[in-house]
Amino acid sequence: MRICVPLGALLDGSVEVLEAAGLDVSPLRDAGRRLVVEAAGGVTYITTRPSDVPTYVEAGAADLGIAGVDVLREREPEVVQLLDLGFGGCRMAYATIDGPDPTPGALEHLGVLRVATKYPRAATEYFAGTGRPVEVVKVNGSVELAPLVGLSDGIVDLVATGRTLRENGLVEREHIFDSTARLIANRVAMSLRAEEIGPVVAAMAAAVAR
Amino acid sequence: MTEPVPVPPRIPAGARDILAVEAEELREVADRWRAHVALAGYREVATPMLEYAEAVDRAQAGASDDAYRLFDEAGRVMVLRPDLTIPVARLVATRLADHPGPVRVSYVASAFRPPRPGRPRATELRQAGIEMVGAAHPGADAEVIAVLVGSLRAAGVRRPRIALGDVSLTRAVMDGLGVDTATRTALGRALSERDLVGWRERVGAAGLAQEGAALLADLPTLSGDVTVLDRIRETVPSAREACESLERTVATAARHGVDRELRVDLGVLRDWSYYSGVVFEAYAPGASEPLAVGGRYDGLAERFGAPRPAIGFAVALEQLHRAVLEVRGSYPALRAGVVLVGGLDTHAEPAADARAAGVTVIALGADDGDRADALAAAEGWRYVARPEYGGTLAVSDRAWGEKRICADLREFTE
Repeated sequence: MRICVPLGALLDGSVEVLEAAGLDVSPLRDAGRRLVVEAAGGVTYITTRPSDVPTYVEAGAADLGIAGVDVLREREPEVVQLLDLGFGGCRMAYATIDGPDPTPGALEHLGVLRVATKYPRAATEYFAGTGRPVEVVKVNGSVELAPLVGLSDGIVDLVATGRTLRENGLVEREHIFDSTARLIANRVAMSLRAEEIGPVVAAMAAAVAR
Repeated sequence: MTEPVPVPPRIPAGARDILAVEAEELREVADRWRAHVALAGYREVATPMLEYAEAVDRAQAGASDDAYRLFDEAGRVMVLRPDLTIPVARLVATRLADHPGPVRVSYVASAFRPPRPGRPRATELRQAGIEMVGAAHPGADAEVIAVLVGSLRAAGVRRPRIALGDVSLTRAVMDGLGVDTATRTALGRALSERDLVGWRERVGAAGLAQEGAALLADLPTLSGDVTVLDRIRETVPSAREACESLERTVATAARHGVDRELRVDLGVLRDWSYYSGVVFEAYAPGASEPLAVGGRYDGLAERFGAPRPAIGFAVALEQLHRAVLEVRGSYPALRAGVVLVGGLDTHAEPAADARAAGVTVIALGADDGDRADALAAAEGWRYVARPEYGGTLAVSDRAWGEKRICADLREFTE
């Protein structure tokens, strides 16, 4: 069984829940720079960037994976979302420079809002859904920079504690959706290898419920 | 100054060319599949590639939205058929309305869907399917499932698995528990997104009695043999009949020899508006998507004016091909065939004689001997024959690296 695990913020929580479900996670702890590691019990871990996890699971390169709701909503992959794992809690939010909200002014004078984000789909859908014209600027990192240098009026980004926003003089204006880590599965593997995957999912469900 | 390099012409996003090796293999897989479904009396039909959008939407509201649309000379909206089930249902309802039934038809054809921005996907789907119209009992369901399994095996799939759900059973459970319409809509949406977390949240918010809520929350994850239905029967007595019907289907399929391949899986529930009874998907190692999807849609023919129960499935030929390659391996194999230098001119007669005897001969001009080996390598032909003085041919066998002299190419039949 192959399990795709996200590197970065969700890694520690992922290792914890896999361990609580009774899987051997020791190779994952000292993986070093290896991206594919084998563990006891016929489990292989694949570690990737968080946004790539659904891609591996969707294509069947991994049977199970752990991905945030933010990534799942952005990609809309053809995978089964099995469990809310509870950790990695954060929210998708719209933020602008602190002080008077520039949003109404931009809409009134320019008729359109410029928003920088790593999540163009979430941003487009949110502003379309609230009836405001938006020009989404896709950036790949340091989103907070965009409003500071006049690239955009605001940003749509994932906020955990809000510290990064505060340190850059930004303030959260609108809450878009909440995100946590979810256990996802390849739909074919779910059926073809149910005997193998079923008990692991059940053990993870029990671990999360504790 | 250098000449600008011409940009090669492109083909539309999501479209692709199929070269000789793949085309041969796809055709072979489809031919084996055809031969198998014909054994149960399914006869091949063809429908036009273009349908009126109105006809497609009549079968399923909004179906033409996800289709290539164009206009006819009078400005009516047409679509490139987005699936085959709807056109075949139309054909059976209009052209075979007098048939005593059950009507058994098959097809091998392409369906089309437009590319989606930001989501690369194939725009042409090669499908092979059957429909049985005019039989409603579990025996008909079992036959169709058995034909599916048999046809996948005949095509070369080693371990097909079928996941079998039932929308009428799910409806019966919801009726029995008194789930309101708004919740059903939300549950349907969660399931179409395969979001079991969202499903459980909606169930939790529906205000059902504890035992019923627990059952409904677990429903899409209930899978295994028919004993998983026992829990439904205990909790929702009014769903007893639906459980028994599904059990009969499974039992009859076992009598067709489909037993270990079949799993009850109530998570197989696509599109509730279209299907009315059993729904199933087929999987096999090597294919990351279902090889086939199908189910019962008793209300479809009625929308074309001739109400009759119907069940069918569509195999995705490209996925089937992948699953077959998983078994057979995709190593390049040499093909039996002789590249004959001079076959276009000096040796036209021996080429014709050999072809008449069933030998594949790839002819070259007598002056073109330099290209013979490169051509054989590029296309994977096993033999290269060159004329020698005295009328014989020097034939090199690329499989064994041997050379021999022969007088007649007809000995290369295999």
